[in-house]
Amino acid sequence: MDIQKQLLEAKNISKTFDNVVRALDAVTIEVRKNEILSVVGENGAGKSTLMKILVGVYPPDSGELYHIGQRIPFPRNPIEALRRGISIVYQERGVIPHLKVYQFLFLGLEEKFTRLGRLQLEKIIGIAKSVFDELGVRCDLGSYMYELPLSTQKMVEIARAILSIRLAIGDSGAPDITPIIILDEPTAPLSIEERDELFQYLLNLKKNNSFIFVSHIIPEVMKFSDRIYVLRDGKLVAHHDLSVEKVSEEQLFREIVGRVSYYELYGGHEYGRAEAEGRPIILSVRNLTKKGYYQDITFDLREGECIGLFGPAGCGKSEIAKTLYGELLADSGKLIVDNKEISIKGEPHSRLRRGIGYFSGETGKELFLYWPIKKNVSIVNFEKIVRSPLKIVSVISFKAEKILAEKIVKKLRIKAPSVDTECYSLSGGSKQKVSVGKWLERSPKILILEDPTIGIDVGAREDIYEVLLEMKKNGISMILVSDDPKEYAILCDKIVLMRDGKIQKMYTNEEFKKVMEL
Amino acid sequence: MSGNLRRGAVTLPILTSAWRLIRGNPAIWAILGLLIIFSSIVPERFLSSGNLIAILKNFAVTSMLAVGPTFVILLGSIDVSYMGIWMFGGALVWLLYPYLGLASIFIYPIFGLLIGLFNGVLHVKAKIPSFILTLAMTAVLAFLTTYVRNISGVLTLTVPAYNFLRESPIPYLPSPFLLALPTIAISIFLMFFTKLGTYLCAIGSNEEGAKLAGINVEKYKVLAFMFSGFLVGLGSIAIFVHLGNQTRVDFDPSELVRGLAAIVLGGTPLAGGMGGPHRTLLGALVYVLIFNGLFLLPGVDPNHLKLYIGALLLGAVVIASKALKGALIA
Repeated sequence: MDIQKQLLEAKNISKTFDNVVRALDAVTIEVRKNEILSVVGENGAGKSTLMKILVGVYPPDSGELYHIGQRIPFPRNPIEALRRGISIVYQERGVIPHLKVYQFLFLGLEEKFTRLGRLQLEKIIGIAKSVFDELGVRCDLGSYMYELPLSTQKMVEIARAILSIRLAIGDSGAPDITPIIILDEPTAPLSIEERDELFQYLLNLKKNNSFIFVSHIIPEVMKFSDRIYVLRDGKLVAHHDLSVEKVSEEQLFREIVGRVSYYELYGGHEYGRAEAEGRPIILSVRNLTKKGYYQDITFDLREGECIGLFGPAGCGKSEIAKTLYGELLADSGKLIVDNKEISIKGEPHSRLRRGIGYFSGETGKELFLYWPIKKNVSIVNFEKIVRSPLKIVSVISFKAEKILAEKIVKKLRIKAPSVDTECYSLSGGSKQKVSVGKWLERSPKILILEDPTIGIDVGAREDIYEVLLEMKKNGISMILVSDDPKEYAILCDKIVLMRDGKIQKMYTNEEFKKVMEL
Repeated sequence: MSGNLRRGAVTLPILTSAWRLIRGNPAIWAILGLLIIFSSIVPERFLSSGNLIAILKNFAVTSMLAVGPTFVILLGSIDVSYMGIWMFGGALVWLLYPYLGLASIFIYPIFGLLIGLFNGVLHVKAKIPSFILTLAMTAVLAFLTTYVRNISGVLTLTVPAYNFLRESPIPYLPSPFLLALPTIAISIFLMFFTKLGTYLCAIGSNEEGAKLAGINVEKYKVLAFMFSGFLVGLGSIAIFVHLGNQTRVDFDPSELVRGLAAIVLGGTPLAGGMGGPHRTLLGALVYVLIFNGLFLLPGVDPNHLKLYIGALLLGAVVIASKALKGALIA
């Protein structure tokens, strides 16, 4: 190892939460001067925990920290981290929209520029100007943060991180430290063009700074990193130095997801291959476009068919899913459901009336945690549990509500004392089952699945797949968006490969398995 | 605990459901406690039939102001236009009586419904914060009421023709209480027997999730304001009769506090998502019992009562928000 280039080394870091969850297991990473270092991994792989240890949010259980070969204590809070030249730009909630650019840039740093209680505005603006000139940020200092494009907001945030390190180091009198800026999923909200803009900025700043880039978007990691660390389940599983070796996207993907998994359990199964050819087309998507996210998306979905939108994060697949169930508005294109064209500007409730439902694995998102199971089931199934004796008002039948919920609890083997049990007390898998159970009962024509099994254990996963496959057999069409290729292999009849917001290719299930070596 | 309860469900179904009721509505403890305290300190005054009838009347007035707005508070918004609807609705009854005769009392719920519609549409479409919006509404309507009184040169806006409403057909049950019953029945029905109650709780506790479940969030927000206005209008008939077939013509902020106090004391958090009109009814009873009991206690200056009530509301809000935080972490 070239000691000249080494800036920071964190050795054998372990961290356990609540004595149970092993978030990090003896992870060692090294940051060199003037590089973009990527740390990649799935949700829950330990990336964020590692970064929070580096900036002093959490103390590690064990481990050592070296700064240019010299052992130093771990920072106990973000201020100490700043003095060591480490700063972090969080994924979201970092920007305060109603501050002017220079106010935001100096937020929390005003103390040094105050004389007799008066803020020295001229001095602040002068420094801001020179910093922006130096870093190449082009924006009007007097405008408000929310007026800036998202990519420029990120740039200002990064400039702020660099500035606060400089001011903190100025105190301790060690001016030659190269700042390390940690970027936590900085590109998540950005469109494709904005991402490129941000990366040009980072490449430019690399001359004087080092970046730790936390992400799971593989193509951009490959394109802009000097080195890559892969974390999985709290362990360091791979390290690639891109100046020395070449890595393919597929290899990186496999390292992130891991080889040994539940898919082997399904290996022998033949999963409800729908004889979808010849069945009526239920949804036609024609030239659907949203500028900066996806363009010219065209495909047909038949009754009882499941189509997977597959591609690296940021390829536009989740945006398409969001558009289909009405959370995001498309710019142009056509949507035809059951031979009737519907407005591309619909909202979730009007989409559901057309028969498009949505199921996500993020239970917090669509489950009402403090409600009993039965209420969570009835929220989309009121038609089934109301009686209308007077024709004008629909009266809920508590008996029907209970029977309906009990049917689902029994069918999906949800472990709960009764249907009056509040959902927060259930396990992750059971929560998911309640979520999917309500749609099983509702049976929409089309169900949009977004990460349907995220964060649940193998057994519960199997149950969820079983329910989804049964729904498919009953003629419900599905569109799947996920991070897991095996999920596509289990559920989908066709897989649409996407990249940079465009459809690249259409695979059948068999072709897909072959390509992914499943 | 739930295991024990379930076993109990086989043997003592009545006890279990009673326990569930009390556990779900802490205001019941307060009511029982207040009843015990006051009937042991001043039994002959507190338990006299005259006082109990007064409690029922005051309960009717307080709950009629608060039951409707509870639906809006479930959303996490707030509706304080009830003062305005109550005051100016009465002025409208007075103004229209010469033309419509006895039917003019029905202008109350219609007027409430229209104000609710206006509030709801403005809140949802123009995204105006509900508190400011409905407070301004109350200010405008209260002003208009005073204005009507001033230009017509009378002291009160009284419609003596409704005097027959003041006679109760049932002994011991005062007529304002009987007139409040339809409003109570409608609100309970809406909350528990239609999907409206569930939808409003859904929007208040997880708006994103409500959207994903296919609920037309904007529509139900407007509906909540409409039902709020309608129920306040309908309930105001009871207050109108209670005050001697007239409406209030001067604005009193303590009446505004009364409605909110009933809601918060009953256990519907201002953040929305849980509770409902049934709790507000209990809260109204708590409020009335405290007010009534303190009034009877020797050594309590009646002039200070409003101060005590204000302090009580402050305390209730603090405790309620604490309790809510605990629930969110659990």
